[in-house]
Amino acid sequence: MAGKPPEWLATTVGAVRELMMRRLEAASLDDQSRRETERALEELDVMWEELQGQAAQLARENERYAQFFEFAPDAYLISDAGGNIREANQAALELFRAARGDLVGRSLDGLIADDERAAFLTRSLGVMIGSAAVAPPWQANVRTLEGSTLRVEFSVRAIPLKESGIGGVCWLLRPAR
Amino acid sequence: MPREMDELQTVWLGLKAHIEQLAAERQQYLEVFEQAPDAYLVTNAEGTIVEVNGAAVDLLQRRKAQVRGRPLPVFIAPERRPGFRSRLARLAAGDRAADRRWRSLLDSRGVRIEVSVTARVIQPPGGGICWLLQPAA
Repeated sequence: MAGKPPEWLATTVGAVRELMMRRLEAASLDDQSRRETERALEELDVMWEELQGQAAQLARENERYAQFFEFAPDAYLISDAGGNIREANQAALELFRAARGDLVGRSLDGLIADDERAAFLTRSLGVMIGSAAVAPPWQANVRTLEGSTLRVEFSVRAIPLKESGIGGVCWLLRPAR
Repeated sequence: MPREMDELQTVWLGLKAHIEQLAAERQQYLEVFEQAPDAYLVTNAEGTIVEVNGAAVDLLQRRKAQVRGRPLPVFIAPERRPGFRSRLARLAAGDRAADRRWRSLLDSRGVRIEVSVTARVIQPPGGGICWLLQPAA
């Protein structure tokens, strides 16, 4: 199940629970210690139940928005701040006529036509280094992995990456009309 | 009871980190959807709206709560609805030929707005449909 707490966490919670239960069963526990242990055990159970609920809800929402990204009517790429492609949706794979493994990990500027690369970097630099949240849309020629050239309009904005919220870039590509 | 408190703290930190990771994952995709410059909607396969972004709310001139749960065709001008519903049915049936851009007419609180509609079916079929609505130039 997506969003399920990691195994090590379930194991730790189980171990702590067992430790507390054994202490409660020990005859040597005084009244105050017994009450504290019972309270701690209750807190642990409540914490664990709340976590599982929160995790399940976040996972459902994540699934919904992740599905949108994958099947959005527009081509999207997500890169890190250095312009290395981290994610590509279905429409982007079709645009570049590529398999996912051929796009992810590649540097985006390598897909820009040679004579437009400098202009591409200039226009996107502000967003990539974090000094601007968005860049005005612009057009450029891209090369598909089959070698053909396509003119697209780029819209770029900064977004937090799913890995620890570090800065990334969202690239929206539409065939120029 | 210091040992249990240490253990509880370890558990708490682990739980917190897990939740933060899930939240970070959601945030990335949420921002792609919400901050998009154009109107995006997601419906189920039958056309009932399940999610709508800020640009779509502006285009439809309604709050999210007034849009979610309603069939997308009700926001289309009445005279264009039969055609729209026909496209929707073909999309839901997995007809890839319907998975393209076409023109339609929104009826947004009495204001008619010509829009370009692009739809893409969430796979596998039955998973829903993603919609892009752009006011026609």
